[in-house]
Amino acid sequence: MSKPGSPPKRARKAPSDKAFDLWLDQGLHAMFDEVAKEPIPEELLRLIEQDRNNK
Amino acid sequence: MPLPQDDQATAHMVASEPEVSFHDLLVAALPALRQQALALTRNRADADDLVQTSVSSALAAQTSFQPGTNFGAWMARILRNRFLSNMRRRREIVDIEDAPASLLARSGGQEEGLAIQQLRHLIGKLPADHRLVLIMISVQGMSYEEASEQLDVPVGTLKCRVSRARAMLRRWLLGDDEAPKPRVAAPKPRARASVPSHALSALPAAPVMAKLGRDKAGAQLERR
Repeated sequence: MSKPGSPPKRARKAPSDKAFDLWLDQGLHAMFDEVAKEPIPEELLRLIEQDRNNK
Repeated sequence: MPLPQDDQATAHMVASEPEVSFHDLLVAALPALRQQALALTRNRADADDLVQTSVSSALAAQTSFQPGTNFGAWMARILRNRFLSNMRRRREIVDIEDAPASLLARSGGQEEGLAIQQLRHLIGKLPADHRLVLIMISVQGMSYEEASEQLDVPVGTLKCRVSRARAMLRRWLLGDDEAPKPRVAAPKPRARASVPSHALSALPAAPVMAKLGRDKAGAQLERR
């Protein structure tokens, strides 16, 4: 119990929760970072450049 | 540290360099859009198609974009609307949420660990809106306020979705999410790892978790 007037204590995550969160974040980065680092498909860039040149 | 955000970069470009063209903003936003499309579709080919159709829509509607406003948010809304429209069309043929995730997900090949394969499979089982915000927050490093602006969804709702997504993944992987923790402290085992060994052994990523437990949770948190 917190003392009267003192701010309520925030529930602290169990160490196993923190370990899981760390592992999950690493896994998500492993899955999704790759696609953001890949070169943009030429077809897509061409589509944008064609529109730019038509303006 | 999360990766720098392309949409943050583009938002900065809007604020400080008004001469940046619509097309430059669009090109700069593509990496983040591709991540979001993959989060929604779970499939590389579908993600590429979704980005392509969204870019076409954006080019067709470029006069409706107001310079100086958040380009990332504008594009994210187009992407999401295209996705929902595609989903409605596909449901007439097959409900993709019912399709096995293993068929929809892209395999990373032999080099991809068993744990990541399992995670990829389970990520596919999350609702699409949960998956998207989880990626925006955990991978793209957005704040909840930024994600809220992009998705036009209240911050509280997004926090709830991320929390629920993490809890679901944890429950599917470890099976102990809802288990009440004993109030009476059991005698401490000799091992110093903070992660319970039964939880680690139940996880396909046992070696990874065990290492995390030793290296990070164990080493840092035990000191408290």
